[in-house]
Amino acid sequence: MVDVAAAPLIALDRVGKSFKDGQVRALDDVSFSVGPGEFVSLVGPSGCGKTTLLRLMNGLLTPDSGRVTVDGKPPQPGPDLAMVFQSARLMPWRSVAGNIEFALALRGYNRRESRDRAMALLGSVGLRDFAEAFPHELSGGMQQRVGLARALAVEPRVLLMDEPFAALDAMTREVLRNELLQMWSRRRMAIVFVTHDVDEAVLLSQRIVLLKPRPGRIDEIIPVDLPEPRWQHDPRGNKEFAAIRGHIWERIRGMQKDGAPLEELAGAFPRGPVENG
Amino acid sequence: MGDNNAVTMAPPAAVARRRRERQLRLGWQVAALVALVAGMYALNAAAGKLVMPSPNDVVLASIKMWGDGSMLTGLGQTLAVLVLGFVISAVTGIVGGVLLGGFRRLGEILDPFVNAINATPGAAFIPLIIVWFGLYTEAKVVLVWNAAFFPILINTTAGVASTNRDLVEMARAFGASRVKLFWQVMLPDAIPSILSGLRIGAAVSTVGTVIAELTMAQSGLGGLLATAGNRFQMDKYFAVVIVLMILGTLITIALRFAERRLARWRVALNEER
Repeated sequence: MVDVAAAPLIALDRVGKSFKDGQVRALDDVSFSVGPGEFVSLVGPSGCGKTTLLRLMNGLLTPDSGRVTVDGKPPQPGPDLAMVFQSARLMPWRSVAGNIEFALALRGYNRRESRDRAMALLGSVGLRDFAEAFPHELSGGMQQRVGLARALAVEPRVLLMDEPFAALDAMTREVLRNELLQMWSRRRMAIVFVTHDVDEAVLLSQRIVLLKPRPGRIDEIIPVDLPEPRWQHDPRGNKEFAAIRGHIWERIRGMQKDGAPLEELAGAFPRGPVENG
Repeated sequence: MGDNNAVTMAPPAAVARRRRERQLRLGWQVAALVALVAGMYALNAAAGKLVMPSPNDVVLASIKMWGDGSMLTGLGQTLAVLVLGFVISAVTGIVGGVLLGGFRRLGEILDPFVNAINATPGAAFIPLIIVWFGLYTEAKVVLVWNAAFFPILINTTAGVASTNRDLVEMARAFGASRVKLFWQVMLPDAIPSILSGLRIGAAVSTVGTVIAELTMAQSGLGGLLATAGNRFQMDKYFAVVIVLMILGTLITIALRFAERRLARWRVALNEER
């Protein structure tokens, strides 16, 4: 385990959560914390409660046992915490700029300010020319950029990302990872990044929380000490990168040995009460 | 960024082909119209004007009825019942549908009743409406309401109940209140369903209006139909039918236009599929 800064931004203390009236134990005794400006990835096979953890952190769910605090208080959905989902989840009846303005209006910006901010944010993800386009006119990668711009627009202290690049093609994913790293190095919000892609987790994050399934528990917390900034020094050729990657895979194979095969684990848990499919 | 070309344009060849197809279709449509009118002449010649008036007489009757104001009066009366009935059904149907769709428990409880009344032929209620509301405008408006309310209610309910949960979760994660969630996410998401309910409702309203005018105190275009039919003045009768046809078509076009304006994102999504 690695020491976290004295005052963690997000703290989970022996958190447990069940679904279906306690029949399905999704999380059991999970404790970790995220410091201000830290980039933490949650990694693990399907069904280990990664998405549930994110929902607990943004206050859409409350734990059955233990405590989740953000800034010392129970989290509440709101613009301090912004969320990026696997699909962009843009409102199809609003223009690209309108989708960002929606989040800004919730934060209390007036119409003029939110217009200016939305345009600025779209500029930063390279979509200024598409402000008046509708989401269905954009490619998947562009839509996901809008989702990212919407989350960044509210200047969150914590950015929660739920497999944001999983549905994109490999090249777009690579570009967006770099953009994310650059944004993060400029703004330094804390990021909690859920992924099932081990390489992605090692590539992006400072610490990896490796989870094991049934019920979701922490297997190991792994520090990732690689040279920064990583969008300039691609660490994938480094020995350290290979070592961390190899270590994580070993642990995951270990889970397979003492638990059920991964295919069986994949369908073991519902992904939460408000997930479509 | 390699993916900036997502906003695609159809190549010119495809545009030209589509235009040719459209012209060809229009040509066939004109041919069908000519055949129809020719058929009317033929039937008129073969069976006499009681079975089918000559198109010439229909045109003359139209000119006469528009000239003496009877058609305009009739159209005015019909439109009054139609518009009043439709607007009341639209307001009550949308409000009711939002309630039934938004409060799931309420919707589940009332579902069998809504379905039962909707499944009953509207004409079955005519005697009851006459007993309760008489024979005049109020009763006719009630009949139209009874016909148009249910399609609007049912479509709105379905639209609101099947809100996109992903978007709701997104809005909640960004801190949207329940009120904002409803007005800015759930309602816009339901607009395509509401609009198709309105389109069906408008078509049914036209039918209901004419039935009311035929079966209750005769008035409006329906009344003119009845009068002409009873006196075997088939030229006048067809003149009124043509007006009804145009009226119905215009209403449908107007609503389709509204649908395209208000829900063009949905139209675009459907065209892509």
